[in-house]
Amino acid sequence: MTPPVGGREREGGFVLALVVLMLFAIAMASGAGYLVVSAESRMARHSGESEEALAIARGGLNRFVSEQLGVVADSARYAMGNGEAAVSARRVAEVDEFTHMYFVRSAATVPDPLAQGSPSRRVVGAYAYHRRRPLPLHGALVLSVADISVENPAEVSGDDAGGAVCPGGAQPSITGAIAREGVAEDGTLEGSPEYELWPGGYAQFMNQVALRWDILTDPSFPVDFEDVRPPFSTLPADSFPVVRLNGSPMLNPSWSGRGVLIVTEEFRAVPSFSWEGIVLAGWVDDRVRGSIDGMLVGGFSGTEPYDEIEVQGTIRYHSCNVDRANASLSYLELVDDAVFEID
Amino acid sequence: MNRIHGFTLVEALIALVLSSLVLILVSTTFLVQNRYQANQVLRAAAHDNVRSATDLISRELRSSMRGGIVVAGARTLTVRSPVAVGSVCERGSGFLADRDVHFDGGAARMATEEIAGVAAHDPADGAWEYQLWPWFIMDGGSSASAARCATATAADTTDASEDFHTLRLLALALGSDAPDVGELVMLFRETTFTIEPSDLEPPMLALFRQPYLEDPVEFASGIDSTARFGYRLSGESSYRDTIPEGDLDDIDAVQLQLDARRLSESAEEEDVTFGWSTNLLLRNAP
Repeated sequence: MTPPVGGREREGGFVLALVVLMLFAIAMASGAGYLVVSAESRMARHSGESEEALAIARGGLNRFVSEQLGVVADSARYAMGNGEAAVSARRVAEVDEFTHMYFVRSAATVPDPLAQGSPSRRVVGAYAYHRRRPLPLHGALVLSVADISVENPAEVSGDDAGGAVCPGGAQPSITGAIAREGVAEDGTLEGSPEYELWPGGYAQFMNQVALRWDILTDPSFPVDFEDVRPPFSTLPADSFPVVRLNGSPMLNPSWSGRGVLIVTEEFRAVPSFSWEGIVLAGWVDDRVRGSIDGMLVGGFSGTEPYDEIEVQGTIRYHSCNVDRANASLSYLELVDDAVFEID
Repeated sequence: MNRIHGFTLVEALIALVLSSLVLILVSTTFLVQNRYQANQVLRAAAHDNVRSATDLISRELRSSMRGGIVVAGARTLTVRSPVAVGSVCERGSGFLADRDVHFDGGAARMATEEIAGVAAHDPADGAWEYQLWPWFIMDGGSSASAARCATATAADTTDASEDFHTLRLLALALGSDAPDVGELVMLFRETTFTIEPSDLEPPMLALFRQPYLEDPVEFASGIDSTARFGYRLSGESSYRDTIPEGDLDDIDAVQLQLDARRLSESAEEEDVTFGWSTNLLLRNAP
């Protein structure tokens, strides 16, 4: 007799059914758990990417505003973190001759590797003043030293030397020289008034001049030329570049030119050096030589090795040189506490 | 023959007992898994609920400008947040006090139905002066606004004429402080968030959102009785339950403690609770 097959088959089927049931239960529970966890994970990731996009948008906005020197760029793109910020600027009003209002918009996207084509996106906006005359017209020679002596035959003049050549004609005179305690003249000292005293020292100097020296001398702050002679012969005649010289180089005629000259430490020049525009210096040599048609402002570093400065060259206020150089120094300044989110 | 082809009673009983044991084991596992999964679903629901509520509140709170919180209580928070911020590019004169204003995207992009009023920015100290003022009175259209701004203040209106709009502020709104060229204006919404007994899930609490002049809407149910708002003043490290009116401008952070609770379906099981606390730093705080 052959053994009955049916009974064994039923027994086998019974065990199989149990296994299938268990597998089904485990699969159901695992599936439900997976769905809950994956949904949570996806939401958390989206939330994180959205926050990152917002941070990138704000970062892009701030970077754009801080990098603008001179003419405001229409747009810029920055790769930051896991995303990118696209920043654009539009002039919305000329408040006055030296202050324009810009709207700056920064749109940031952070791609989601699991959902191509639907990146997290956040947009922020802000208004910013474009300060087109960052250096106030206090005087042709502004130093934070105690005393200035204008030697013979040197000249310091606050009268507009550009009256005959500047498009707008002669502008009102400014002060000739400004020092902390005294200004003496053996040579020519002119202006309206001839001199002023700022007894408040370095604090008053920085408050009145109101330039961010720390930014202008920061190596990461972009300027047109750094430690190289600009090729003035190939530059447009109306260009007034920003030139930064680190340290205390002796400026000879090969450095002569126009624009904004930033000397991070001591301004030293030979008599044949000449500059059209604005010279800004950490401090100045005790003998100021050369010829400047514009303005010389020194003393930003807060260290003054010399009590008295002898002027042996020529420093004359030149309105259109100063205005053009000032325009090259113009910068954007966000309206305080008014950044807002768009969309 | 029968003993060969069938089961004995003992064999059948043993098989039955063994099968029962296996079945009990499997079903217990299944039920435990099921209960765990149900618990997780409740927890996830509570989590989602308070997180989405937090997202919504934080969007309005974080973008609010200085002085934007007008009521700061433990269970009531009223905040004014920008619908749009613009810059005046041309000013009219007289009683109408028209101002042509640049708004990114113009009125078309604004949720004008949410506008509760207008605020002017004081460039000297960064403060905003708020005035409740309906949009239908303020709306002066945009037909010639861009052209006026281009002529008067050299605004760049290229491909953006729709971004300029006329606001009719009248002498009543903002009075003599109506903003000048180059100053900012903000069209704001005013929203009140309250923690009150839920209409949808009594006896729990719920978070209600009430736009200006509208009825409150319950948008996050299942809030626990420990939920509250907290506020930090600039320069302080701890959060307070309420802030007096005179100090509202100094709030620099808001704490949302929106603990959630999901009631269990049976009396034997405990409620699912979810503690949730978020500190929101105000972006434009002093």
